[in-house]
Amino acid sequence: MTAPTTAPIAGQTCPPHTYHHSHLQLFRFSAVSWNSHRIHYDAAFAATEGFPDVVVQSTLHGETLTRHVLDWAGPEAELASVSWRNRATAVAGEQLTWTATVRTVEPCDEGARVTLDAAVLKEDGAPCVTGSVELTWRAARTSP
Amino acid sequence: MSAALEEVLGRARKLIGEWEHEDCGVLAVKDFCRYAASLNDDDYIRRARAQEAAGEPVVAPPLFLAGTLSWQDGPTEDALQRDGLAAREAPCTDGLPVRHVHGGQSVRLGGPVLAGTRVTAERAITSADHRSGRSGEFVLLGITTRFTAQDTAEDTVDGAELMAMDETIVVLDLDLPDAPAEGDPRPAGGAAA
Repeated sequence: MTAPTTAPIAGQTCPPHTYHHSHLQLFRFSAVSWNSHRIHYDAAFAATEGFPDVVVQSTLHGETLTRHVLDWAGPEAELASVSWRNRATAVAGEQLTWTATVRTVEPCDEGARVTLDAAVLKEDGAPCVTGSVELTWRAARTSP
Repeated sequence: MSAALEEVLGRARKLIGEWEHEDCGVLAVKDFCRYAASLNDDDYIRRARAQEAAGEPVVAPPLFLAGTLSWQDGPTEDALQRDGLAAREAPCTDGLPVRHVHGGQSVRLGGPVLAGTRVTAERAITSADHRSGRSGEFVLLGITTRFTAQDTAEDTVDGAELMAMDETIVVLDLDLPDAPAEGDPRPAGGAAA
C-alpha cells in the first residue's frame, strides 16, 4: 500500500484490502497472546458453541483494523487510539475486506490529529467489525 | 433471565470498582518479535532486532499490551474452564453454564512501551448490565485496564501510563439452539480474549 505524501483530507477513502486469517495464524496469535480459549484453535469445540470453524480473535480484528490504517498512513503517522465493536463472527479462511475513510483532520501540537472510520466486512459486504482509528500525523518526523 | 446469568450479574456487581493489580513482568524484545511474527510482520522483527543490536530503544508493536490476554504464568490445564479460559479471563462465571464472546474494545495509547520496562496493570469491572436482544438475554460486563511503567528502561518515565483500555465481554447462556447470526445482538465477533 502506498502511503499518502501529504496529510489526508476528511472524506478521503483508503484503498480497500482483502485478506483472510489462516488456521495457523489463529493458533499462533492465541499462543503468543496466551489466549487458550478453545473456540480459536479447536474447531470441534467451536462447533459446540455454534461456530462453523475456529473464530478470529477480537484482538486480532483490532490489530487488522489498526495495521492497515498505519500501513496506509506511512511513517509520519502514529497510533493514538483505536476502538472497535464486533458485530458478526469471522472464522479461519473466511474472506474479509478492510475499508477506511478519513472522518476528521484537525491541527494539533505535533501536526494533525486524523480520525478514520474503519471496518472489516464479510464477503457479502456485511460488517464484521466496525470502529475508529485515531492517528497523530507528524508534520516532520525525524525518527522511526 | 436464567439463574446462571443472574448469578453472573450478582457476582459482577459486587466487584464493580474493585481494582486488581498485576505484575506483567519485564517486557522483552523476543516477546515483541513473536507477537509481530504471529501478525506476519517481518519488517517489525528486522527493525526491532537491528535497534537492539545498535543499543537503541525498542518500542513494542502498538497494540502489544492490549493484544496480550493474560500475563499470568499459568494456570495449568486442570485449572482452566471447559472452554479453555482461566477464571481471571472469564470473570464472574466460574462453575456456571455460560459462554463468552468479546463485544469490543477501546484502546488509548500513552507513552512508548519499551523493551526492558517492568509493566503493571490495574484492572476492574466497571459495569455489569442485563441486556436482551433478538437472540435472547445476556450480561454485558465492562472492564477497564490501565498499564503503567514501573522500574523502567532507560528512556521510559517511571509511573507513566502506557495504555488504557476499556473492553466489553458478553456472557451468554451455554445452551445454543442455533449458531449466532450476523447482526445478532450477542456479538459473535471475537471471543472473550
